[in-house]
Amino acid sequence: MNKTININLGGYFFHIDETAYQKLRKYLDAIAKSLSDDPEGKNEIIADIEARICELLCEKITETRQVVNELDIHHIIKIMGEPEDYSDSDESFQKTQSKSNNSKSNSKKLFRDRENRLISGVSAGIAHYLDLDVVWIRIAFILLTIFSGMGLIAYIILWIVTPEAKTTAEKLQMEGERVTIDNIEKKIREEFSSIKETIEDGANNVKKKVADGFQRNRKSTTSGLEELLNIIGSIITVVFNVIGKFIGIIIVVFSAIILISIFFGVFSLGSFELLGYGGDLINLPNFVYDSIIPYWILTICIFILIGFPFLILFILGLRIISSNIKQLSKTVSLSLLGIWIVALLTVLFAGIDIGTSDAYNGTKIETYPLNLTSKDTLLLKMVNDDELYYQDKLRRSTKRIKVEDNGVKKIYATNVKVSVEKSNTEEFIFEIRKVSEGRNKNKATENATKIDYSYSIKDSTLKLNAFFLSHLNHRSSDEIVYVTIYVPENNILFIDTSILSFLYRTKNSNNLYHGDLTNHFFEMTEKGLNCTDCVNEPVM
Amino acid sequence: MKIENTKAQMRKGVLEYCILSILQHGDAYTSEIISTLKSAEMIVVEGTIYPLLTRLKNSGLLSYRWEESSSGPPRKYYVLSESGKLFLKELDTTWNNLMVAVNQITNNKK
Repeated sequence: MNKTININLGGYFFHIDETAYQKLRKYLDAIAKSLSDDPEGKNEIIADIEARICELLCEKITETRQVVNELDIHHIIKIMGEPEDYSDSDESFQKTQSKSNNSKSNSKKLFRDRENRLISGVSAGIAHYLDLDVVWIRIAFILLTIFSGMGLIAYIILWIVTPEAKTTAEKLQMEGERVTIDNIEKKIREEFSSIKETIEDGANNVKKKVADGFQRNRKSTTSGLEELLNIIGSIITVVFNVIGKFIGIIIVVFSAIILISIFFGVFSLGSFELLGYGGDLINLPNFVYDSIIPYWILTICIFILIGFPFLILFILGLRIISSNIKQLSKTVSLSLLGIWIVALLTVLFAGIDIGTSDAYNGTKIETYPLNLTSKDTLLLKMVNDDELYYQDKLRRSTKRIKVEDNGVKKIYATNVKVSVEKSNTEEFIFEIRKVSEGRNKNKATENATKIDYSYSIKDSTLKLNAFFLSHLNHRSSDEIVYVTIYVPENNILFIDTSILSFLYRTKNSNNLYHGDLTNHFFEMTEKGLNCTDCVNEPVM
Repeated sequence: MKIENTKAQMRKGVLEYCILSILQHGDAYTSEIISTLKSAEMIVVEGTIYPLLTRLKNSGLLSYRWEESSSGPPRKYYVLSESGKLFLKELDTTWNNLMVAVNQITNNKK
């Protein structure tokens, strides 16, 4: 059993099912919407259509079947076509044309769009003004806020300064449509009809639900429970949506920060190298510097290797925030993957190259006799070349510094270890042991040989360099120069304070620490060095 | 690019010409025009016609009169106006030229 409604269609009188009526009404409304804006022509067309529907229905209605049902409406829609079919192709052309005219000839105005707001509608208003998606404006504000705080200030100022689009004319101006009576009327009509529709639909729904409730009195408990679950479900969905957007924003901001910092990092490193700065960059992992692959290629590869995953993350985040962002096309993502793999292989290659470059140790030993007689006192001193690199106080360290020696770039290192030992012969012997690393034994020895270490001897004073120079390509920080002075028994030597931090494994019979060994005279005995002038000093 | 769209656009372009041609042979009311077009498979659904007829009428190419009907609401009979006749003549030559041109092109392709 169904309730029927009486309608007047094209001057004729019809009985129609309630459901069929709803359907027909919706159909006619939809057609009216898809038709032109000119109210007069529209009414005429609607009247024509109604007349035609009336004609079609007249054929259906007989003495035995007096009521129009849902099937009839279906049939009519099938004959007449969907609402979209009514729109004139010419018309849509005109529409787009007039729209483009508008955006050219009509100056837009900046308003706040409260209808699409997140906070106050500033971003939405700007989005209208610039014809951009509002997401970009919001991201820009967030980034500006994080990086400089300017975003927040600008936002607040815009909030205060920009008026809200309240009237229809203002809303049209905001969206850049021509403010004519027609357009205002259209907008108002649109708004009104949408409000009316929602209210009507809502009322119908309530009515229907109440009716259903009465009909299915018995099932009311279950349907009530169902409804409650539905409400809870929709609340959860909304909450998840909000959380999702929030997570999306966090992901976008996070990955954007990382991308930007990687970009600037790589860029500044690259330009340092290009501009010839970077005296101290040599202390960075030798991975980047020591590679056979050009430095800038390697940097780009590392940037790609780290940057791409965050780029993907960034895009994913954007997609969470706004469904408007298109997924990367297959070709784009495949080529991104390809580039990434190439970068990975390059870095791996460089890594293997570096890993093997110091696989072997090489040593070069040079021995020189010192022409001293047993009566001479050997004076041991460390000296520095302040022109190469100025040191306030001589210290041994593993630090390596890029210096220029007669126009040639070299590495200045202070990893020199000095020790004094008993000579097995009657002669003073002076040994320099240079240690370096290389891809293979020969290469390592060659590298060791290339270490430039010098000393000078005058009378009985041995001046050792507090540094050695190495080739710029030898960036292995494990390069060391060992200096050993073999002193025959019963000979005296003086250890200068300058040698303090370079002293290494030097035995003495006084049980003095290395730190106390300097600025004293020593005699070489069977047990090692014996301090001859430390007697007065208390041994702690 | 959907083939349906292209087909519909092709048809739409000559639809006005067809309607005017139908009215050339005598006045007709909406349903008659529609059934003629439908039998020639020029249109699939009727909806397209109503805005078109109204537009043609508003631009003065057509006029109409009401006639009572025995089996339904009063019928709107469309009449080709003087300017409509001129318009149709113009379209006739355009159509012939177009047909020649299209034939030439499509035949050359073979």
